[in-house]
Amino acid sequence: MLEQFFQAVFKADFIFAVIRITAPILFAALAAVIAEKAGVVNIGLEGIMMITALFGFLFAYWTQSWIIGVLGAVLTGGLLGLVMGFFSLKLKTDIILAGIAINMLGAGGTIFLLNMFTGLRGNTGNLVTPNILIPTVKIPLIDRIPVVGEMLSGHAVLTYCAFIFVFLVWLLLYKTPIGLNIRAVGENPDAASSVGVSVLGIKYVAIALSGALAGLGGAFMSMYYSQGWNSGMVAGRGFIALAAQAMGRGEPVGAMLSSLLFGLAQALRTKASGLQGVSSFLVSLIPYVATVLGLVIYSISLKRKARKHAIKAVKP
Amino acid sequence: MRDRRMVFFGIARGAMAIILALAVGAVFIFLSSKTPFTALRYLLIGPLLSFHDGSVIFNAQYLFQIFAAMIPTIFTGLAVCVMFSANQFNLAGEGCVLAGGFIGGILGVYLQINSGWHAVVCVLAATVACGLIMLIPALLKVKLGASEMVTSLMLNFIILYVVLHYLNFNFADRTKGATMTKAFRSTAVIPSLVPGNSKMSVGFIVALLATALIAFFMYRTRWGYAIRMIGINESFALYSGMNVGWTIVLAQVIGGMLSGMGGSLEVLGRYQTYLWRELPGYGWVGITVAILAKNNPVYVPLAAFFIAYLNKGCLLMSTHCDVPSEMIDIIQAAIFLFFAAEQFLSGFRQKLVVKTATEDLMRLEADRGSRGGGSHA
Repeated sequence: MLEQFFQAVFKADFIFAVIRITAPILFAALAAVIAEKAGVVNIGLEGIMMITALFGFLFAYWTQSWIIGVLGAVLTGGLLGLVMGFFSLKLKTDIILAGIAINMLGAGGTIFLLNMFTGLRGNTGNLVTPNILIPTVKIPLIDRIPVVGEMLSGHAVLTYCAFIFVFLVWLLLYKTPIGLNIRAVGENPDAASSVGVSVLGIKYVAIALSGALAGLGGAFMSMYYSQGWNSGMVAGRGFIALAAQAMGRGEPVGAMLSSLLFGLAQALRTKASGLQGVSSFLVSLIPYVATVLGLVIYSISLKRKARKHAIKAVKP
Repeated sequence: MRDRRMVFFGIARGAMAIILALAVGAVFIFLSSKTPFTALRYLLIGPLLSFHDGSVIFNAQYLFQIFAAMIPTIFTGLAVCVMFSANQFNLAGEGCVLAGGFIGGILGVYLQINSGWHAVVCVLAATVACGLIMLIPALLKVKLGASEMVTSLMLNFIILYVVLHYLNFNFADRTKGATMTKAFRSTAVIPSLVPGNSKMSVGFIVALLATALIAFFMYRTRWGYAIRMIGINESFALYSGMNVGWTIVLAQVIGGMLSGMGGSLEVLGRYQTYLWRELPGYGWVGITVAILAKNNPVYVPLAAFFIAYLNKGCLLMSTHCDVPSEMIDIIQAAIFLFFAAEQFLSGFRQKLVVKTATEDLMRLEADRGSRGGGSHA
């Protein structure tokens, strides 16, 4: 049995699967990174992904163009971010509660909206046409390399975007004035406002960007990953992304590494659940247990570091 | 004067938030329904009054169904009150309801006690077990500083899959088509309070007792005080010598116990076998309930009634009209956002405060004037 398992795992298509599964988590984790850097906990990622997955699909269906679908999802995500921002920053709703409200909209509200727009219940079923699915690309040179080509080439456009966005988010946060402002607002809002940075404005920008990135994740889910929208399709990815952000120490590259870890865990689950005598339910636990363990390890390392600093401070 | 005005403001603001949320719901009904007015009637007054050939009938069975639906949400609402009061955003109430229901259900099938104590043992075992489950996020938070929010969210899924594993591989009754356990022993079933099929069980009374107990705990004991103080100002609680870590753990364990109790009462009171195969959603409703109750246990049953009423209304609306029952989530989200908004109608509040202050000043002035006049004479 183990042999079967390892045969399944040590194959190019396994790595391919890991990358594919990682992409939506990565988008959401980057969304969490940007929000967290500005001092905003975006627990609404789960709901934003559900809603943007629906609207991305609907926009694509109405126009029969996947590009417009993706743009629609990004726009919807940004708007939802602004709604959260309006309630938490202007009306002082606790940001966590605002996020939970968005998640409620994502869970039941989407079913309602789908019914309202299309008359369908629970999933988009037969609305799917090839036009509205995100196309895959073969990378010219890498495509020819035997094993690596199989792993890295032939992914959806958005999959590559997810990994490019790691760099872009890093660039935004560390090499642009707005990124500097975002970090300043997150670390010390009083200091930031004392030098003339609009704290509220920056927070709005950060949460809108966060929503837009989660929108990319949502579009990826309905327009490529599950090839259609159905209720419960995001299945905790938004929450896992929050954990990935925490485990990745709030940095884009760290978030990418922990997202890959979750992608790996979830890919293992798909492989292992196909085997005889393995409980698919216990295998389903892997990503969630991995998340908790990852968070525990991260917290311990953080604590150690803090203690070392404390000792250093006492004995210079 | 000031107090009365502020109480008035509080009520007016709450009412405004609910009216706004219902208005949002109404907008969606008008957008999606061909018979919006009938739909609205079912949503708003359908749960109590039904209409037959022009005559209006009060429907007691519906009222009992609403009371029955309140049982789990009162418990999760109380759980959230306690945990959120200590600023612990623990969201594992959802998983604990499932775990409590499962543990209570399994004991209800396999434990042999030939008296009414059977049900009591099942419920208490579920309660204790869920309290222990909550130790995980609580201790990770206190000992390691890991966010209880993230760990509790993950815990929900972990509980779900562990329960599904044991349900499928150990306890499933293979003679039935769907995955469920064998029937509960009659001694484990929570008896119904009223005749009929409303499922309003003794659990409702237990829920009200729990409300009284938690209200007493939160406002009349030093542990409750410590929990609330940590929520208001954790540093103050720490520097005034409270055991903050222990109290944070306590709040979450109580939250787990309440959720587990609610889950087991619901399963043993409503069904004949254990059959939940997904997270039941009561944990999230509990958050709405706690927000409506402003984290005050006393108002939890009222808030739970309101949500159960709306839920029943949405169900009626979806059976009799063309509006899906998921409408409830949109209304709940809107209530959530407006009700929790501290600055909602703050302009109005500001005016009230200014008015009260001006009046106070004038009265003071008049007072001083009359006294001053007296001394001169």
